[in-house]
Amino acid sequence: MSFTTKDVVLKEDRPKTLLLQKHSDYLASYGLNKDDYEYCMTEYLRMSGIYWSLTAMELMGQSSRMPKEDIIEFITQCQDSESGGISASIGHDPHILYTLSAVQVLAMYDRLDAVDIEGIVRYIVSLQQEDGSFYGDKWGEIDTRFSFCAVMCLSLLQRLDAIDINKTVEFVLSCMNFDGGFGSKPGSESHAGLIYCCVGTLSICKRMDALHADELAWWLCERQLPSGGLNGRPEKLPDLCYSWWVMSSLSMLNRIHWVDKKSLEEFILACQDNETGGFSDRPGDITDPFHTLFGLAGLSLLGNTSIKPVNPTYCMPQETIDRLKLKPQILQI
Amino acid sequence: MHGRVKVRTSEEEKARKEKERNEKLKIFKHAMQKIQIKRKECTLDKELLELTGNVLSSNPDIYTLWNIRRDILQLFKKSNDNIEEMSQVYNAELHLTEYCLKINPKSYCAWHQREWVLLTRDDPDWQKELELCNTYLKLDERNFHTWDYRRFVVSQCKPSLKDEFDYTTEKLMDNFSNYSAWHYRSKMLVELYPDRKGGRPIEDSHHKHELKMVQNAAFTDPDDTSAWFYQRWLLGAVKTTIDLVNYTVTPTKNTFAFSKHVDKNYVSAKTKLLINNCVVNGEWVSCTGNCYDVLWIFQHSTPITKKINIKVEYEIDNGQKQIIQGVECKEMFYIGKNQIKFERNYSEAVIEELKDQLESCRQLLNLEPDSKWTMLTTTIFLHCIDAKAYHTEAIQNLQKLKVIDKLRAGYYDDLIAKWCIEKQLCSDYENADLALKFSFPSPVSSLPYLQYYSYCDSVDLSNQQLTSNIFPSLIVLQHCKKLSLENNNLTTMKNFPDLDLVELNLLGNEKLDRNEIELFTKKYNFNIIY
Repeated sequence: MSFTTKDVVLKEDRPKTLLLQKHSDYLASYGLNKDDYEYCMTEYLRMSGIYWSLTAMELMGQSSRMPKEDIIEFITQCQDSESGGISASIGHDPHILYTLSAVQVLAMYDRLDAVDIEGIVRYIVSLQQEDGSFYGDKWGEIDTRFSFCAVMCLSLLQRLDAIDINKTVEFVLSCMNFDGGFGSKPGSESHAGLIYCCVGTLSICKRMDALHADELAWWLCERQLPSGGLNGRPEKLPDLCYSWWVMSSLSMLNRIHWVDKKSLEEFILACQDNETGGFSDRPGDITDPFHTLFGLAGLSLLGNTSIKPVNPTYCMPQETIDRLKLKPQILQI
Repeated sequence: MHGRVKVRTSEEEKARKEKERNEKLKIFKHAMQKIQIKRKECTLDKELLELTGNVLSSNPDIYTLWNIRRDILQLFKKSNDNIEEMSQVYNAELHLTEYCLKINPKSYCAWHQREWVLLTRDDPDWQKELELCNTYLKLDERNFHTWDYRRFVVSQCKPSLKDEFDYTTEKLMDNFSNYSAWHYRSKMLVELYPDRKGGRPIEDSHHKHELKMVQNAAFTDPDDTSAWFYQRWLLGAVKTTIDLVNYTVTPTKNTFAFSKHVDKNYVSAKTKLLINNCVVNGEWVSCTGNCYDVLWIFQHSTPITKKINIKVEYEIDNGQKQIIQGVECKEMFYIGKNQIKFERNYSEAVIEELKDQLESCRQLLNLEPDSKWTMLTTTIFLHCIDAKAYHTEAIQNLQKLKVIDKLRAGYYDDLIAKWCIEKQLCSDYENADLALKFSFPSPVSSLPYLQYYSYCDSVDLSNQQLTSNIFPSLIVLQHCKKLSLENNNLTTMKNFPDLDLVELNLLGNEKLDRNEIELFTKKYNFNIIY
């Protein structure tokens, strides 16, 4: 038979313990050199970069190593006074992705007062369409990611009432597939990242009942490969970030015990770089703040106590979600 | 950053690379600066189009640059009546997106720009776009962006659905391991071949045909998972209904349990409580406080006394009315139980096909007794064909799967619990016992269908593997007086629901903190054994 499972093999000399200090050093120095090539080339997603780094630092209890005041000042400069939306960086256009990242950062800092909240609410409301979907910005791209950004953002601002929730839910449900999963729009193939967005939307809108929980959770637990890592779609390679997309979804579905925690933990630890610090998508690849956050958040969901508890819906420290008195829904079993 | 392998390089090589990058960076920064200045000055001209195009050619994800280009193109369109000239401008834009997609075939921005151009120009060539999709799907048959774009193109040029369905057949014949094609096929199958007469999602002969095709695929490569998911879906693609499964009427509380989550509009429109043949008016409140719930509480002021006639009129999905007569199980405690069943409603023809396939599966399993997918499919077939008759064999198979496929042992545990509870429910609904007790060969760690037992006054969940996670689910035990959670894995009393208990047994939960239980006992006035 010709078929071989796409997977990786963990090497014996891989990191087996959590290198917290190295990760904290890695994130603290990331972006210190403003002329670094990678740093400059990723300017178009800077706001999300700040969210990934700060959340990772918060989960490690090291957020004091981030330049708080500079970050808040930067965010205020990125808000567009006309539309109310927030951009990835100065000189870039507002977009719902970066509006959410900015709101998440300010929520963690308890500094939502630093921006024009009504402006943000106005911006998000303006992006909702007749069918309940959301544009990413005024140019009309539609994606379930943006639905999630909208409800997450508004709930953090305690303004979920500003949009049509029933229609929002209806649109997300129209993206459900034969396998119980979700894609980016009606008709799109199921993908673990988009499943997280759709399940997260239903968790915030308290409509977890609408899911086909057993079918979906089975599909999700089938993402685990012999290496312990998780892929995002059938017959794909494992990638560390799916430890988050899959495990957070399973947490909201209350079925985290459907994957093997021990081998997943080994896979996540193997994605650390013991020289540079940080996590990469797969063992031996180059690290980045994105995978560093999802590695740490994944370990937190698995119960690692040297990392603070993370909220599976918001991907933010549970203490922030508690402080804001938010209660995203977890499915009962 | 995805899929970038860290390579060790010599110092010399490093320095050379660094120099190269610095050069690139200088050009990049210069271009970006120039772009910003021109934009601020509102100079939306050909030069700006060129500048942004150059940067995007190597960095297709800088979304703002695409926005600038759209602004320019819109301006051009406004000030240019020459259709041919505009057509060339749009062609150039499509060319740029194609170039960018070669650099990054997963660039959301580039794909969206292409859609935008096609929708904006007056002379879109959809056929050409469909061919582009064909070409791209030959290069990467799983790129979901390309599939999404294909669906967009199809929504515009509307080829026959059958053509698209045949396209998935063609792709699958190339390679069965193409989950994207199975997915697309599932969407069209229910549109092309619905069974309008019988109310089933898929018409019989096509259901059979698909089952045959997918079995062929699955047996070609049993370790390839794609086809198995499609098969599992086909097996579940049957008509499902919402049922009122039971109701309980007492002087203090009236509850109605449903097989699925329903909202207040549904409950109030479909359910009528009749006492001595008079309809009772009242208010519906969900048990958990959520808008959709499986258990609804009916509040009314009609007194409930001994020996009255209680019945419920429930409108089932096809509009027919069902009368469920209540029985006074003990004094002033009326229960109405509906007939319940968990079997799937297959047609005769499909059942025959399933039996054939079960036979093939068993043969294959004889050759390869440790093949996970063959074992799982055999088990699912057994459950689908006759859950009751094959119960023991199906459960034994799931026990074996826990060993063969140990990563998913937790899943199989919960499936065992679910099937065992389904079986027990069928017999529990035939007697008038008000006590629930699970004693399966293996303990359960989840409690599916618990609302089916909402009428019980005594619930014995001892000797299972329940954790404190299940507490919120216990809220459906609205009539329970005596609850035993003895010998489980409880760790905390947090989130224990507000129940009207007389006795709660917490013995044998070693990880429960005694201080926490003592605090807990102070909050409630029922007897707590620990």
